[in-house]
Amino acid sequence: MGDATMSKPVPVRHLHVGPEFHAEQHIHPEPTSFLSRYVFSKDHKVIAKQFLWYGLFFLVMGGVMAMMIRWQIAFPGTAFPVLGQLLWPQSGGVMPPQSYAAFFTMHGTLMIFFAITPILIGAFGNLLIPLMIGARDMAFPTLNLMSFWTNVLAGLCMIVSFFVPMGPAAGGWQSYPTLSTLVGSPGHGQTLWILGIFLTGSASIMGAVNYITTVVRLRAPGMGYFQMPLSVWGIWLTAILNALFVPVLAAGVLLLFLDRVFGSHFFLAGASITKGGGDPVLYQHLFWIFGHPEVYILILPAWGIVSDLLSFFSRKPAFGYKATALSMSVITLLSMVVYGHHMFVVGMSPLLSQGFMTLTMLISIPSAVFFLNWLGTMWRGSIRFATPMLFSLGVVFVFGLGGLTGLHLGAISSDIYLHDSYFVIGHFHLTMAASVLLGAFAAIYFWFPKMFGKMMNETLGKWHFWLTIIPITIVFCGMLVVGYAGMQRRLYNYEAYEFLKHLHPINVWITRAALLLGASQFLFVGNFLSSLISGKKAAENPWEVGTLEWTIPSPPPHHNYDEIPVVLHGPHEFNNPAVTGKDWLAQDEPIGDEPVALGAVGN
Amino acid sequence: MHQWPFSWLTTVDVSRDGWRAEALFWYTTLLCVIAFALVTFALVYSSWKYRARPGVKALYTHGTDRKSFAVTGILAALVFVTIDMNLVRVSQADVKEYTYNWPVSPDTVRIEVMPQQWAWNIRYAGPDGVFNTADDVVTLNEMRVPVGRPVMLNLKAKDVIHSFYIPNFRLKQDANPGYVTRTWFQALQPGNFEIACSQMCGWAHYKMKGDLIVEPEADFERWMKEAEGDAKRRFDPADREQLWGWEWVQ
Amino acid sequence: MAVTRFPVPEESRRTSFVGMVMALASWTMLFVALFFAYAVLRLRASAWPPDGLAPLPKALPALNTLVLLGSSILLHFGSRPEAEAKRGALRRALLGTLALGSLFLALQLAVWVPLWRSGFRIDTGTYGSIFYGLTVFHALHVLAGLVALAVLLPGAFSGTYTSGRASAVRLSAMFWHFVDAVWVVMFVAVYLV
Ligand code: HEM
Ligand SMILES: [Cu+2]
Ligand SMILES: [Cu+2]
Repeated sequence: MGDATMSKPVPVRHLHVGPEFHAEQHIHPEPTSFLSRYVFSKDHKVIAKQFLWYGLFFLVMGGVMAMMIRWQIAFPGTAFPVLGQLLWPQSGGVMPPQSYAAFFTMHGTLMIFFAITPILIGAFGNLLIPLMIGARDMAFPTLNLMSFWTNVLAGLCMIVSFFVPMGPAAGGWQSYPTLSTLVGSPGHGQTLWILGIFLTGSASIMGAVNYITTVVRLRAPGMGYFQMPLSVWGIWLTAILNALFVPVLAAGVLLLFLDRVFGSHFFLAGASITKGGGDPVLYQHLFWIFGHPEVYILILPAWGIVSDLLSFFSRKPAFGYKATALSMSVITLLSMVVYGHHMFVVGMSPLLSQGFMTLTMLISIPSAVFFLNWLGTMWRGSIRFATPMLFSLGVVFVFGLGGLTGLHLGAISSDIYLHDSYFVIGHFHLTMAASVLLGAFAAIYFWFPKMFGKMMNETLGKWHFWLTIIPITIVFCGMLVVGYAGMQRRLYNYEAYEFLKHLHPINVWITRAALLLGASQFLFVGNFLSSLISGKKAAENPWEVGTLEWTIPSPPPHHNYDEIPVVLHGPHEFNNPAVTGKDWLAQDEPIGDEPVALGAVGN
Repeated sequence: MHQWPFSWLTTVDVSRDGWRAEALFWYTTLLCVIAFALVTFALVYSSWKYRARPGVKALYTHGTDRKSFAVTGILAALVFVTIDMNLVRVSQADVKEYTYNWPVSPDTVRIEVMPQQWAWNIRYAGPDGVFNTADDVVTLNEMRVPVGRPVMLNLKAKDVIHSFYIPNFRLKQDANPGYVTRTWFQALQPGNFEIACSQMCGWAHYKMKGDLIVEPEADFERWMKEAEGDAKRRFDPADREQLWGWEWVQ
Repeated sequence: MAVTRFPVPEESRRTSFVGMVMALASWTMLFVALFFAYAVLRLRASAWPPDGLAPLPKALPALNTLVLLGSSILLHFGSRPEAEAKRGALRRALLGTLALGSLFLALQLAVWVPLWRSGFRIDTGTYGSIFYGLTVFHALHVLAGLVALAVLLPGAFSGTYTSGRASAVRLSAMFWHFVDAVWVVMFVAVYLV
């Protein structure tokens, strides 16, 4: 395999150049006031940092809530150390069932919309798109600023909801009616939740419009779609899904809002208590039409990043680059037509259920393709096990577990048993929590030098990796086990059921692993903060890779590129035999004294 | 009866059709374990074999030659045909033979279930075979069924969505406010089993428990006779809370 | 290497066009989802309008459809690059559109108020929910469109847009046409069928 390419170096200068030549990208003078520089900045790099801090804040919050949830499961009736006494002094520090419901609801909501989304899409989307395609900023810097601050408003809604009477939303992160209508959730918490979701959705759409346009319009000359790093591919596809499907969620929560506040009957129906001919299941359709694409919204950036990092650290071009980009696109398309697999026990028509099952299974094909390509990238490489690479391998590992357990849930007859059990919790945490989180860590370790101009500590990074991957696997695989044993999700005290009592030891071990997982994140926090203050100064290109962001100083100047680069090669030209003296080649770097073929630029 | 791996983990399966979920689960698990073992092996093996060593260069290939294409394509197709299509095939059969194959035999026990926050209202039609009439047998959190006869349920929730879950039967069905959903099962052995709610339905969701009592046919009939006698005596048309039930949906 | 191949404004005009197309695609999905909700509720209902409820008025909304279509045509011709360059044409188109848009809102009120007074409210079953939910939500978009167009007025009067290539004019017009198109679908779906 590949011998043909060995003997005949690929001609690298034939790259297609689009018609758009970005004369519009002026160099704007750097803002000078504190406010316009650090708070209401329009610089994508600053907004990326804002999103990073914002996301990390909610990651900590959501993480602590997860620990408390697990504590309650394993050690019911005992107080969570320190925080328990502060939060629930009246019950001696023990979490009451109402708070438990509120906590898993807000844990899910905060993690998805306020931690993972801001970090991977907000921070890395913003950082990477302009840098990697050779642009000076996003297409719409003001929209970018608005997107962040709208998100902050949304986050405020969520935080405020903790302090209103009767507490925050407590009907699960999906907030199914009629539980989420006034029938099941009086109080303002649920209304604030709707507001927060609507706002963060709007912010996501603003971001998405910006990202898509930036990729379409501002690619540097020579940067065709198939010269873009796979990270950009992932983020771009995510932006497309965001633009098209977040509005569907917005419609769903809008109707829910009308039901709660104006007394309409969209979702209200009932045998006797509630009147009205509405349809609570309609909300589930709307929710999952959005919800299934949402899991890809979360994972696609991580896939793209991992695809790049595997190539970077294997010192080898990404294997089957185009096939990977295309399979990600195919998955994006498929993700629009499979949502019904979340509703097999709702009472949907048998025909629909079976159709959704078959469509769901189709996802295996593109998934298999890029898994094989990932393995193909490592094959006969020369692998450097730096921290970002370890985390990337971790993503492949946990996503493998998560993806495969999706098969159990995609087939109707096993899903009927597993639906709404801890098996589902294990599955989706492996796919969209563990793997996305590991992907986020990989990205942070890798681009920290570019963002902050400092290196992170490798030794601490490696400890962090092992003390994360081991407990995270135990936690979520443990959840698969108790799920198979029949344990439902969202149980304040599973020992209320006889048939679950024997699961106690397993649940205790899951919680212990979760606490270890939580504790080992201090390694990351410590590393992050100390590197920020006193890390080794980062060179321009510490990882020796060829994508454009590594051709400019770390951190990059306000306008990124003094001159817009002309792209000559793909993003992964490692060990190109025509290059001597080093094993990588920058995307805009001529080989030898080969002339830059500007004549080729044009229509 | 079937024997599944790790049976100590799960509840005893006492149903006629629960084996389907188990069989598919373990079949899928087997295929997944094989696939995952291969991936992990490849991951670990290439991590070790191709670790950076001085003097060894990585191969320069984009994996775009025909051979790589063919290998990837064939492997992906293989995964789809051997794993996915198989699961779909098995599951389609289950669905056809059991899930949506509603029992029609005259000895079917018909029960209406109306969960509410946080209890199970259960209703048998009584001698007249019509629901929501004076002779209905109504119970709270207790469902009695005979061994060996098909039991069909009509479910409709009173307030919020609940889900009727009987682990020993590997069965689960949502109950929605507003319209009727159906499910059915058949017990193979007597005993007392738990009914659980598996859809978040408010803060006390975790203790929304019911009892499923499976008895020999004769015991069941005796209980039913007694309950029908009681029912007429206890019926009170003024108690509006008791007036629920709907036309049977087959 | 900074080769200038287009005049700069043309470049950024195209970029904002692409952005607006994406934004409108997103907005379209919002309304598609709302119409989907309508379809589901309607298919579940045994009768539509439910027994005892009078059908909605048709004449005023039909007139209103013409009003909005007229405004779109006016704006379209007034905001074409050739016309935009002539101050007068753009000014007339903007003023005309603002007038017709406001007329639309007034006529909508004339539809809503008697219905509301007659006891047909947002909580009158799913029928009321759909009717008020969809039409009021759309009217809010009309209002937003009016604001977007009104913001252009000072510039139109002072002659800021005489280049004939101003993004602001083009984007606001796109939004206005979008809101009109949604109305046509809504008119057919809510009042006619
Ligand atoms: C890494 C540490 C994490 C741990 C230990 C953890 C643990 C948990 C636990 C125990 C539950 C409650 C299960 C139940 O009783 O129903 C839960 C729910 C959930 N988690 Fe996590 N989680 C973690 C990270 C994440 C992340 C990063 C995400 C975001 C992608 C996430 C998303 C969710 C969601 C959506 C739910 C469902 C909430 C609901 O039932 O409404 N989790 N998690
Ligand atoms: Cu899904
Ligand atoms: Cu319940």
